[in-house]
Amino acid sequence: MPKVPIRVLGLAGLIGVPAGLAAMGWSLAACLLAVGWTLAAEPVEFSSPGFPPSRMDPEGRLVEDWGVVAVRLQGEGLTEGSVKVEPGQLDSCIPAARATIDRGHVQMILTAFRSPIFPAGVDVLTVRLEEKAHQPIQVTLALDLPPQVKVGMSTARIDNRMILSVPMETLALLAVRDWGYCNQTAAMPGWAKPEGPADPAFANIRAGMGGIPILYRFRVEPKAQAIVILGICESHYDRPGIRPILCEVEGARPQRVDPIAQWGRHKPGVLVFQARDIDADGQIEIAVRPVPGAADRNPILNVLWVFPPGKTPNLAKLIAGQLSGSAKYYVDVGGQNDQCFYQGGNLQYPIQLPADGVKELTFLVACPGGSAPVPETTTWTPETLRQAARQVWQAWQK
Amino acid sequence: MCVQHDCSGCVNRRECLKLMSLSAVGASAWSTSVAAASEGPSPTDVVDPAKLRPKPEVRVMASFLEMPRPYWLGWPGTAYDLDARQKEYKELLAQSAQRLGIQVELRQQPINNEGDLTGWINEIKQKKPHAALVILQHFGCWGWASMVAKQSGIPLVIFSPIGMAFTGHVAGPARTPGIYVVSSLDWSAVEDGLRMVRAKRMFEETRVLWIRGNQRNETVLERLGTKVRAIPRDTFNQEFDKQPVTEEVKELAAQLRKQAAKIVEPNEQEALNAMRAYVTAKRLLAQENANALSMDCLGMVGAKLVPTPPCAAWTLLQDQGITAGCEADLWGAMSLMLTSYLLDRPGYMNDPVPETVHNTLIAAHCTSGSRIDGFDKPPAPYILRSHSESNIGVAMQVLWPEGQPVTLVRFTGPNDLIVDTGKVVGNVPTPPAGGCRTSVEIAMDAVEDCRDVQGFHQVVTLGNHFRVLRGFCELYGIKLVRSPRLSTFM
Repeated sequence: MPKVPIRVLGLAGLIGVPAGLAAMGWSLAACLLAVGWTLAAEPVEFSSPGFPPSRMDPEGRLVEDWGVVAVRLQGEGLTEGSVKVEPGQLDSCIPAARATIDRGHVQMILTAFRSPIFPAGVDVLTVRLEEKAHQPIQVTLALDLPPQVKVGMSTARIDNRMILSVPMETLALLAVRDWGYCNQTAAMPGWAKPEGPADPAFANIRAGMGGIPILYRFRVEPKAQAIVILGICESHYDRPGIRPILCEVEGARPQRVDPIAQWGRHKPGVLVFQARDIDADGQIEIAVRPVPGAADRNPILNVLWVFPPGKTPNLAKLIAGQLSGSAKYYVDVGGQNDQCFYQGGNLQYPIQLPADGVKELTFLVACPGGSAPVPETTTWTPETLRQAARQVWQAWQK
Repeated sequence: MCVQHDCSGCVNRRECLKLMSLSAVGASAWSTSVAAASEGPSPTDVVDPAKLRPKPEVRVMASFLEMPRPYWLGWPGTAYDLDARQKEYKELLAQSAQRLGIQVELRQQPINNEGDLTGWINEIKQKKPHAALVILQHFGCWGWASMVAKQSGIPLVIFSPIGMAFTGHVAGPARTPGIYVVSSLDWSAVEDGLRMVRAKRMFEETRVLWIRGNQRNETVLERLGTKVRAIPRDTFNQEFDKQPVTEEVKELAAQLRKQAAKIVEPNEQEALNAMRAYVTAKRLLAQENANALSMDCLGMVGAKLVPTPPCAAWTLLQDQGITAGCEADLWGAMSLMLTSYLLDRPGYMNDPVPETVHNTLIAAHCTSGSRIDGFDKPPAPYILRSHSESNIGVAMQVLWPEGQPVTLVRFTGPNDLIVDTGKVVGNVPTPPAGGCRTSVEIAMDAVEDCRDVQGFHQVVTLGNHFRVLRGFCELYGIKLVRSPRLSTFM
């Protein structure tokens, strides 16, 4: 999973926007604002070659075949302001719609274009917040969706169709806690039936339904080492070979485990990792993934402990629940003591804007006939989505 | 009627008679196309197939990573001659770059401290090469290699000559998406890594024509970066109808017949039509600025829109490194493209049949490439046959060498690749068998029960390429899937 460093720049800069995109994109966009963007009282349509359009309505909302998505900004000192919607082009070739919304303290600019990803494309909605009053401000950004939409931490669905997702690159820009899960997996309290002396957290799990990896992060000192211990108890299958899982901890050798083969059904077991913050970003990443080709590709995780480096704790005592209190972090995965790494709620994001600061968040929205990519498994990034649009439009115009 | 039917030889007498008896739909299509023939290409318009294969720019940044000299204890040890080995690897790297046609920027001085490493990583970020290569010269350098991978964000090939690593060093990075580790003295595996980078760039620079339905649009495939241009199916048969029998067509048709080990069904006119399809395909690819195609050929034959399925034409394209896929199976075409771009050889997508008496897999289709040992190698022998299901046109039954290893690959999407291996045990004749003309019987490796073989339209290619394909998957974060080793039928 990519980790994007947060970069706080001045008025002319961006936060967390890839350098190439920043250089080519908004400097050009600024020119287009002067020469290429025209105000529209009507909705602005945009598309990719050969596909039906989406549109941005005069309120700056995206109108799709499944409904409407609106971006709402809340915060003390914000005023109600005018909305300007205009058509234009990005990179001199990509049709786009832009809404500029003046909220007094903060100017919000929404830009939407279609990225022509196979098979039907996806709409890329970028929200740029600019602090205008030379004072830091705390705001909350929220996405409003139709009532039938089921909203999660970083995705929104209507039945099985993913109509909106938040790229990992955007999540990485948000305010974070000291520890927590980083993606949307299913919490299943009471799923496991651990036998023998067992920490109560062994009874609960998170499951990555559909092959989604289970991702956690913990804050540490940059480059620090730690002992990470993962606790697993398989209570569904009674024979080996069905649900092996692959456990990866930053800086440590990955371990593949078949819980039934290793410990047996309902038997709690642990895996020890000598972790290290190898990329010096002050976080240790943990991932529990399905094994490719496994009959059951829904990975599970029950407990997670992080201890300071040094002597590995007594594992029998740890499994029995006698050492959880001495851990630096103890997570009852999918149970009571579990939390999201990112602050805020589902599709609601608290954002601290520094004086004259800028922050840019990207959201992927299902276009007519399409679906948004799954954040944990997609390799699309805001940068490559725009690159795809640029390449296709340039070739199409030839 | 046939005497009056002047269409520059687009059909023979038998086909002409057949066409005249076609349904109203088919007949009207032909009368339209005959009228359009006058608007066709000039007989001297020849598209060079070599220009259709993508030749992307490929840039790699490379460096040796070593500890401060002199060495004392710790692997590779004091006796290891750093200068001699680095000279040797520099030469090998230059030769590989030349063979592959890629640009390698090797850092002149080895990196031996974290400051220089950070500087080099920053240089990578600024120059944005397509991959990096590090050659380890001490077992204490693995952390630096991981830093390059993590911080540069680009694919990384790690060459760890024997003496630079234990299993513990290799295990983590080798399982990290985006890294391909070579722990060996065999330089050819490093060249394979560079070939993987080139193959990925070729995917990115490829536009595949998806000839089906009636839509015209363009999209981009995740991870591989390949552009998919959908064009209406009728485009092909309309262009085919415009294609006269040129000198190029005649020569190719003559060669096709001359080089066959045997000719069973097709006559000369059918060979001409097959080569008209080939020239039409080249022309269409050039017109659309495309490098590969996948067409709803069965649908076209079913609707009697063309007098020949494109099987033989597709074989010729494949032999020249131009991916040509059947039945508009896009992921089948992408699998063909993988053998072409990464392994420099064609294969064929197949309908898999379990042979339950011998516990083998029979891989059957009508469009096998013939240069199965490599584009620059002599072709395998072939028999000229009709397309089996329709019994019209020209298909080549390519005779695969018995006893030789084969690899089966299949993208099931951009993120998953099925890879299995086996050995050719025979070529199944039709008749007595039905199905498709190239019908190769394969004893699978490491699959207990042939009924468990995964995938459909897997691409069969000559040789055991498991290691290279696994490396490609590792370097680009693709999940490699194998058929179950143990039977699921017990």
